[in-house]
Amino acid sequence: MLDYNYFIENFEKSPLIIQVVWAFIMTIIFFIIIITIYLKYLRSFLRANEKLKNKIEKEYETLVINYLYAGDETDKISSEQQSIIEQLKSNIFETFRRNILISTLLKLSYEISGEMAESLHRLYIQTGLLDYSLSKLKSRKWNIIADGIRELTLFHVKEVQEQVKIHINHPKTEVRSAMQLYLVNLFHFEGLDFLNNITTPISEWDQIQLLEVLQLHTNQRVTSINLWLKSSNESVVFFALKLAKIYNQYGVKDELIALLDHKNIKIRIEVIHLLSYLNIIDVKTILKNKFKELTLEEQIAFFEMMENLYEMTDKPFVMEHILNTNFEIKFSALKILRNLNIEEFNRFKNLTVEPEFVRIVKYIESN
Amino acid sequence: MKKIVLAEDNSMLSMLLKFRLEKEGYTLLIAENGKETIELIEEHNPELILTDIMMPYISGLEVISHVRNKLNNQTPIIVFSASGQEEIVLKAFKLGATDFMSKPFSPNELVNRVKKILR
Repeated sequence: MLDYNYFIENFEKSPLIIQVVWAFIMTIIFFIIIITIYLKYLRSFLRANEKLKNKIEKEYETLVINYLYAGDETDKISSEQQSIIEQLKSNIFETFRRNILISTLLKLSYEISGEMAESLHRLYIQTGLLDYSLSKLKSRKWNIIADGIRELTLFHVKEVQEQVKIHINHPKTEVRSAMQLYLVNLFHFEGLDFLNNITTPISEWDQIQLLEVLQLHTNQRVTSINLWLKSSNESVVFFALKLAKIYNQYGVKDELIALLDHKNIKIRIEVIHLLSYLNIIDVKTILKNKFKELTLEEQIAFFEMMENLYEMTDKPFVMEHILNTNFEIKFSALKILRNLNIEEFNRFKNLTVEPEFVRIVKYIESN
Repeated sequence: MKKIVLAEDNSMLSMLLKFRLEKEGYTLLIAENGKETIELIEEHNPELILTDIMMPYISGLEVISHVRNKLNNQTPIIVFSASGQEEIVLKAFKLGATDFMSKPFSPNELVNRVKKILR
C-alpha cells in the first residue's frame, strides 16, 4: 500500500512530460493485454472450429459413401438412401454445415465419373443444395453469384442454363467468366452460342480457359463461327480467330478476307497470320494490290505470310522490296528471293553497299 | 485374400475405393502419401499397387521407381493421373507402370481393370 502511495505521489510531483510518458506506457500495456486475450480467444475459436469442421466432414464423407453404395442397380432411390438424404437435408440449414457438405461432395466429384458421379449429382439435387446454389444467382454480391454458378458447373446442372445466362453481360468479369465456363463445360461447342449476345469483352485469360475446356471434350466438331467473325465485340472476333486456327476452319475464308478491312489493326494483323497458317494463297493478290495502303505492321505481317506461301509469280513484287527501308521487309524479301531463285539472289546481292543490306545478305547466305 | 496397396491423398476417394474393392474380395491397404506407400509395400508385399501420381512427400513416380529399381519387384502398378499430366504418365510407363487411369474415373472401370490384372 505504501509502495502504491509512493508511486502516486511521485507521479503527481513528476513533470508533465514524465506523466504523459507513463500514461502512454500504461495505455500500450492495456492494449497489449486486450490484444493477447483476444488472440488467445481467436486461436481457440479457430482450432475448435477446425476440429468441428473435420468431425462434420468425416460424418458427411461416411454418409455420402454409404449413400453411393446403398443404391440398387436401378435409378430408383432406396429406403436407405432416402434416410441419408433426409439426414443431410436437416443439416444444411446452417451455412457452415452446408458449405462443408458442398466441399465434401466436390472432393469426390472431381475424382470420379460414371454412374457414381451421376448418383452424386442426384444427391446434390435431392438434398436441396441445388436450391441454395440457385438462390445464390439472385444475390446482390457478385462473389456469391460467381460461387453459385461454379457450384452448378461442378455438379453438371444443365437444366438451369437460362437462369445462368442472365449474367451474360454482368459488370463483374468473375461472374461473366463463371457463366462462360458453365456453358462451355456443360454444353461444349453449343455452349458457345453466348458469343452471339455478349457485349462485354472476354479477357485473354478467359479465352484460354474456354479453349482448354473445349479441347478436353471428345467431340471436336466445332459449330459455325461465321457470325462471331462478324461480331461488333472485338474480343469475340479474336476468340473466333483462335477457334479458326485451332480447328482449321478453311470454310470461313470469305469472312477472314472481309476482316482484312476491320477497323482494328490488331485484328487485321491476326487475320493475315491466320490466312498464312491456313495456307489461303488467294489472299496474296488482294494484299499485294493494296500493299501501299497497309500500315507498316500489316506489311511486315504480309511479308511473313509470303515467306510461307511464296510462288514464282511473286518474284516481281518481291524484287520491288529488296531495298525497302524497313529491316524486316527487306530481310523477308531477300530471303524469299533466295528461295525462289538463288542465281537471281547472287546477282542482286551486291546491289548496294548499305551496311544493313550487306549484313542481311551475309546472314541469309550463312543460314 | 489378395492385397492391394492404394496410395491416394483424397480420403474420400480412398474410402470409396476401399468399400468397392473390399466388396470384390480384396484387402485394401491405404496410404496417404508416398512415404507411407513405400512402407506398406515393403511390409505387406501386395499383389497390386494403385497410386496417384501427385502425392505429398514422395510422388507416384518415385514410388514406381522404388518398387522397380530398389525392391526389384514386378508387382503390377496402376497409376492415377489428372488431365494435363500426359507427360508424367509417359514417365510413369518408362519407369515401369502397368496401366493408368485418368481422373475423373469410374470406380467400376477400375474394378474391371483390377480384376483383369489379378486374374
